[in-house]
Amino acid sequence: MSKPKNPTELVDRYLQAVRFWLPKTQQQEELLTELGDDLRSQIEAEEEELGRPMTAEEASAILKRCGAPMVVASRLGPKQYLIGPALFPIYWFVLKMVLFWILVPVFIFIVGPANWANNGKDWGMAALQTFGDLWSGLFIAAGIVTLVFAILERTSAQAAIACKFDPLTLPSVQRIGRKPSALKTVCQLIFGVFGLVWLLLIPNYPVLILGPAAAFLHAAPVWHKFYIPILLLSALSLARSGFTLAKPQWEWFPPVAELVQAVFTLILLNFILEGWFPFVVLTEAAKNSVQYIKVAAIVNVSILLSLAGAWLGLSIAIVIQLWQLMTNLRKWRRAGQPASLQAQ
Amino acid sequence: MANSTIASPEILENLKLELRRGCLIVAVLAQLRIEQYGYTLRKALADDGLVIDEGTLYPLLRRLETQGLLVSQWREEDKRNKRFYRLSPSGEQTLNQLLSEWQRINASLNKILQEA
Repeated sequence: MSKPKNPTELVDRYLQAVRFWLPKTQQQEELLTELGDDLRSQIEAEEEELGRPMTAEEASAILKRCGAPMVVASRLGPKQYLIGPALFPIYWFVLKMVLFWILVPVFIFIVGPANWANNGKDWGMAALQTFGDLWSGLFIAAGIVTLVFAILERTSAQAAIACKFDPLTLPSVQRIGRKPSALKTVCQLIFGVFGLVWLLLIPNYPVLILGPAAAFLHAAPVWHKFYIPILLLSALSLARSGFTLAKPQWEWFPPVAELVQAVFTLILLNFILEGWFPFVVLTEAAKNSVQYIKVAAIVNVSILLSLAGAWLGLSIAIVIQLWQLMTNLRKWRRAGQPASLQAQ
Repeated sequence: MANSTIASPEILENLKLELRRGCLIVAVLAQLRIEQYGYTLRKALADDGLVIDEGTLYPLLRRLETQGLLVSQWREEDKRNKRFYRLSPSGEQTLNQLLSEWQRINASLNKILQEA
């Protein structure tokens, strides 16, 4: 690239560079003409002081003071933004919800297992494929959300949002680390006791879980392995409710204990589901009956679907509980700071 | 930074900029009681202690003209096209009102400073 020979050529090059970043409108052209005249007037004033023509290098100091072409163009040009300050908080919230609360769990808990099944139960390939799919999905979703909000920005949607605001419909204030309701904990304790007693009675009274089908069905051997862990989890839930009642000032305890219990339950569900069929088997007397075989099959599939659904729901619940716990931890840490810093 | 007793140079510079920004419109309108073009207007403001860069002045002049406070005219001078600005009648009225508002704010600020 050749160097400019004189200040005039330098200014022309500068204006060309600024013009590149400006919209091609009559108004912008006029602004550019005024800017050019301003710069040339500055050069003339300096030349008058010097008593001689300036060199291109000397004139470049004036252009440097003016600023880089892109920066000058941003000041001269119209104020443009894809999503304005009014809509941006909502856009950011929706983007986080879509990407991290919907897309990531869907890919981990639905797409991942599907890829695992399609890749001959190879975890490595499934993880790689899911990760690749997740990246594409994240970018596409982010693009769609951004496009929607860019359209909303241009249709003055924020004016409609502002008009709809009614102070009387604002939600009630959430206290940080609100103590759990004592009534709720007592109910949990009572039902927990009933649940534990029911579990303890099941081995001797299978009708409590199988109903009339207990006449020709009984629990498969898989339940012998998991009966004690299930009892222990039930007892753990009881202990958790009792401790929450006894120590209500330990605001951190209920969410942490709930999360720990959910994780243990998920691990147990994993083991149960790996054990697979059957969950119930026919009694000796009913083994030859076609009708009872069909009923047993239906019960087994129902239990499998229920457990799989519970696994999925618990997985999502754990992610949400973990997020809430982290949010609460940040709030509790801030609550421990001086009042002047809490507004940040 | 939060515990420092003196604001950092960047914070002070930004606050000075905001303070200057509030005065620019009145200053520009007042200067344009006499017809001027961009460079001479900038130079006159700078000579009176109010430095304003090209990227701020020209969009401001465009905005004031769109609002009907200024009128402009292209003229050839020294073999170059220059845009000359001056106050419109509406601009003169607005300037007088702004100057009254300016004096009112000044009085309030003096009162606050005296009380403090």
